[in-house]
Amino acid sequence: MAELTTLARPYAKAAFAEAVEQNALVQWSDMLSIAAQFAADDELEKVLVHPALTAEQQATALTDLCGDKLNQSGKNFLMILGENKRLTLLPQIVEAFEELKAAQEHAVDVTVTSAFELTDAQQETLSQALKNKLQCDVRLTGEVDQTLVGGAIIRAGDLVIDGSVRGKLAKLAEAMNS
Amino acid sequence: MQQLNPSEISEIIKKRIDNLDVTSQAQNEGTVVSVFDGIVRIHGLADVMYGEMIEFEGGKYGLALNLERDSVGAVVLGDYKSIAEGQTAKCTGRILEVPTGEALLGRVVDALGNPIDGKGPIETATKAPVERVAPGVISRQGVDQPLETGYKSVDSMVPVGRGQRELIIGDRQTGKSAMAIDAIINQKGTGVKCVYVAIGQKQSSIANVVRKLEEHGAMEHTIIVAAGASDPASMLYLAPYAGCAMGEYFLDKGEDALIVYDDLTKQAWAYRQISLLLKRPPGREAYPGDVFYLHSRLLERACRVNPTYVERESGVKGQTGSLTALPIIETQGGDVSAFVPTNVISITDGQIFLETSLFNAGVRPAMNAGISVSRVGGAAQTKIIKKLGGGIRLALAQYRELAAFAQFASDLDDATRAQLEFGQRVTELMKQKQYAPMSTGEMGLSIFAATEGFLDDVEVNKIGDFEAALISYANSEFAELMAKINVKGDYSKDIAASLKELVEKFKSTQAW
Repeated sequence: MAELTTLARPYAKAAFAEAVEQNALVQWSDMLSIAAQFAADDELEKVLVHPALTAEQQATALTDLCGDKLNQSGKNFLMILGENKRLTLLPQIVEAFEELKAAQEHAVDVTVTSAFELTDAQQETLSQALKNKLQCDVRLTGEVDQTLVGGAIIRAGDLVIDGSVRGKLAKLAEAMNS
Repeated sequence: MQQLNPSEISEIIKKRIDNLDVTSQAQNEGTVVSVFDGIVRIHGLADVMYGEMIEFEGGKYGLALNLERDSVGAVVLGDYKSIAEGQTAKCTGRILEVPTGEALLGRVVDALGNPIDGKGPIETATKAPVERVAPGVISRQGVDQPLETGYKSVDSMVPVGRGQRELIIGDRQTGKSAMAIDAIINQKGTGVKCVYVAIGQKQSSIANVVRKLEEHGAMEHTIIVAAGASDPASMLYLAPYAGCAMGEYFLDKGEDALIVYDDLTKQAWAYRQISLLLKRPPGREAYPGDVFYLHSRLLERACRVNPTYVERESGVKGQTGSLTALPIIETQGGDVSAFVPTNVISITDGQIFLETSLFNAGVRPAMNAGISVSRVGGAAQTKIIKKLGGGIRLALAQYRELAAFAQFASDLDDATRAQLEFGQRVTELMKQKQYAPMSTGEMGLSIFAATEGFLDDVEVNKIGDFEAALISYANSEFAELMAKINVKGDYSKDIAASLKELVEKFKSTQAW
């Protein structure tokens, strides 16, 4: 995975620069995510790595599937990926692209996993608190995991704030065993 | 019935609950991407520091060694079988620490300081990071106190001072470990604390060392840090640093300590394994580029520090502290020009060469007096040994030269013959049994007898018996004189006269 990210980074950077130039960030983001969804499909993956097919055929197969969702520069981008045999990297490219986009927009994706569904008021308080802590806009997504027993775990990229009862119990267990 | 654990006392449990910090903290998390041969690659962990501890699921720990753009390479400390791809890995914000203190004396611990001798938990108040920068120039003091190994040949020809690093180097089965262990045994009653770091040895050898030290009453002042042959490479790599941290505790307190690394070749192998698996580029003999630094930063921590440093570190006033290191290096086929041996030779303040040919010829300790040196120990020698031992080295050097030459000559002049015979006798006298370290007085007496010509009429094969009888006679009849020499180590005309009287009396009245 780590190596794939390294390979995907230059493509994502190039696509991002192009998108900024064209002032079409949202459109590029949509194009890439659709293409990535197709590329991640098992059946299509067989086509994308098939040795008997030429790079052009593989790229065309993908662009045809996407149909009119792609504009000309999107098609060109997929062609280049095809030529370099990197079509299977699309999911990683999208990930890196979205990271760059978030950095540009000064925003961060935050996942809050809680034991119970959060109320709107709670979500609002959380976003405000996180906004102050992380010093940028927060895009909150909620998840429910009852095995946490109580509390919540907040994930923003690599940063994890564990305020769950399960985490505290684990800490207690460690302290007792040490 | 379930077994009762010593940690299950309600008072202890209560204390642990009181001390528990349950506030939620922001942590850096990553995902394990691959696990192989004790190496874990982790995606994420953007804020991890070099050398930081990483916590895996199930309470396992690792050490971050490679910080790359998209991944972190870490070695697992201990068993890595339960770590799987996709598990989370957390930063701890701590660097690796080991327990230190007097409670460790007499115990056998692993590279992380956990007891492995079945004598229960070790209660220590202090901890120290395994990696520490050595004291700087301002904190240092010259080496001027002797650290007696108890071997005539070593103490007279390659003396070791407190705070010195003296390498013991030789092929397999030449008595390297035996020499180091005797040096530990000889520290009994001197107040010098010892740390014996066993790296990559058989468990049976380690058990043997422990038993021998116990038999000779040397375990009370010794800590054994063991990373056996079956332990993971990360433990073998860390064990010397952990042992050094335990030794530095005594250094900081203004005491004297001795540390034996047995042996650093295996540590270099373990580090080579880790480096190659972390895909660092291999250099000479496939060792990584920083294998010199691996040993230099370790051995630089053995030193003598001045009272100002000791007072700053521990508040103890007017005491100097020292940590003497006896690293051991095993050579292959006597090749001292291999990579690791040359590195360690250049780092240390001298070396003791042990040779297979001498060992097999019955010269034990099998020290080659010609190429063994001590660069700083001379200043630390006791007066009596310094005065008397000077002639020994010269006699042996001349003897070796002549012996090679005399093999071809049929008749020799008297002077040459006398030199040859004296050389033979000195070689014989330098032999010493294992686990029989000698005191300064005994050593001085033996060497005095040789240099003053009292051995000239003793048959070469009787030298050992003569010496043993002489020493036991001196200890029983001249106990006062021996005690005086042992305490001060001085040499004067009076002492020379008394020694002369002793040997003459012995030769005229005793048999051997």
